[in-house]
Amino acid sequence: MGSQKRIAKELAELVESPPEGILVKLADESNLYTWHIYMDGPEGSPYYNGKFLLNLTLPTEYPFKPPTVSFKTKIYHPNVTNDDKGSMCLGMLRADEWKPSSRIQAVLQFARQLLAEPMPDDAVEGRIAEQYKNDRKRYEEVAKEWTRKYAVDS
Amino acid sequence: MTSITLDELLAMETNCDRDEVVDLRSLETVSSYDDHLMCPICHCPFVRPVRLQCDHVFCQKCLNSAITAFAASRDDFTCPTCRTPTRGVYLNVPRLLLNMCDDIRVRCPCRNEGCQEIIPRGHVQSHFDKYCGYRLMKCPDSACSKKTRKKHLSPEGRCLHEPHRCLRCDEYIMEQDYETGVLRKALREHIDTCPEVVHPCTASKYGCPVKVKRADLATHEQICPLIAMGPYFEAQNARLDSLELTIRHLQQRNEIFEDGIANIRSTLVQSSRTLAEQESSPANSDPRQESANQSQIDSSNLYTATTTNYLLSLHESLREEVGQLSHAITDLDARASMALMNECLRLKEDMAHTNAAVGSIRMQVQWLLNPRLHQGQRAGARPSNANTGNGNPASASGPSSGAGPSTAFLRPRRLSDSGREGTKL
Repeated sequence: MGSQKRIAKELAELVESPPEGILVKLADESNLYTWHIYMDGPEGSPYYNGKFLLNLTLPTEYPFKPPTVSFKTKIYHPNVTNDDKGSMCLGMLRADEWKPSSRIQAVLQFARQLLAEPMPDDAVEGRIAEQYKNDRKRYEEVAKEWTRKYAVDS
Repeated sequence: MTSITLDELLAMETNCDRDEVVDLRSLETVSSYDDHLMCPICHCPFVRPVRLQCDHVFCQKCLNSAITAFAASRDDFTCPTCRTPTRGVYLNVPRLLLNMCDDIRVRCPCRNEGCQEIIPRGHVQSHFDKYCGYRLMKCPDSACSKKTRKKHLSPEGRCLHEPHRCLRCDEYIMEQDYETGVLRKALREHIDTCPEVVHPCTASKYGCPVKVKRADLATHEQICPLIAMGPYFEAQNARLDSLELTIRHLQQRNEIFEDGIANIRSTLVQSSRTLAEQESSPANSDPRQESANQSQIDSSNLYTATTTNYLLSLHESLREEVGQLSHAITDLDARASMALMNECLRLKEDMAHTNAAVGSIRMQVQWLLNPRLHQGQRAGARPSNANTGNGNPASASGPSSGAGPSTAFLRPRRLSDSGREGTKL
């Protein structure tokens, strides 16, 4: 299958030279389609010092269909659903926005960028987005507390 | 420059796929290649690239899978890179692109079978088809299901998979692992481990004459006295080696010293010869040297005397040189003090000049100030007659102006022109 070859290649590249603050592993050595991503909270954001576990699932039609990214570690963020799924809303991952030429590395870097700079206009958690826009201080407090509670030493 | 529709492209794919044996995408690349030569879909260097209307290039196969993946709406298929709606595909891409892709070095796909070739990717197919001896072929015996490397195929179509027994032990080796006349690697490995092979005792280098089968070697080694002595021999050997090394070093040093001594001797002989020549020539006028020469004549045959003479003459010449140097130094000293004096004199003269100039300037200033002072006094004495007083200071300044230089005229003339002229005339 063509997709496997490309996925293996991208995985090898990511393992060999990982982008800053991002560590990639296969969830299961025998399955190329589910990855575990360990992401460090970017410096200067309320998520700093936190270590977040993300799940990246690749469809068998990859690269023609986009991968999905979800947070396994709870996170207080306007663009991540506040439920068990922790799905992340990334513009480039929407089916009609996705291009086969996009790389997973770009997706991961984009996700980390979203931690540093949330996009309240593109939010899935409207309440957090409201708070982010109107009461930034309180948002940062809660986000920091959640990070301490869920993302440190886990 | 003609384009074909997407459906035609899909139909082509099924035709082309049949004659492609080597999967170019799974080849291991050896040379690095530019990222731009990489298909954005499969992330490999382009394989049979095609071009869309928007000038984006993809492998034909990748574009096909992209089209099938968007199958629901083939009419509005968009470029996977820029999303420009696309209907037609151009099969011609720049030859440059093809050449660059074909030039990427890859390993032969039969690498696991032992082929070490590194070839340009464009030649892989022909290498695999025609030249690679490691390509796996079906066994000529139709009853055998195993595969043979191409270079082992025998012309008479024999099956090489029949196991043969090792001549010494009972292990089986397949005939394909033999090579005509020569034992192949597998067999060699087997011989290295085969317990039936006769092997010399490990102490054979110390003189143990025993040769036994490998299986019996262990028991022999337990009783062989030479093996027990082994470590001692090793230590002795090491010592001998190091001693030999030091001896060689010492020999080298000795040679160097001998060379040095020979050099010294030859220079001494030379110097004595030159001295002998000097003494015969009447050039030397120095009485001391003369006497030295005399003494040298007495003992000219003696080696030691000539060296003393040589040293003495050297001493003499050095003394002469020192004398010359001291002369030069006194000379320089005198010259330096003369120069200093000259300089001092000049400076003194200059100072005298400056003093004179200062004196004259002082006089001029005094002379210039005089009329002012007079005027002030007179104005204080006769404030009612200020106008008529103009003529008087001019006449008072008359005599002093004669002594002052020409520049002194400027000021008083401006003060009272008419009165001054009158005085002068």
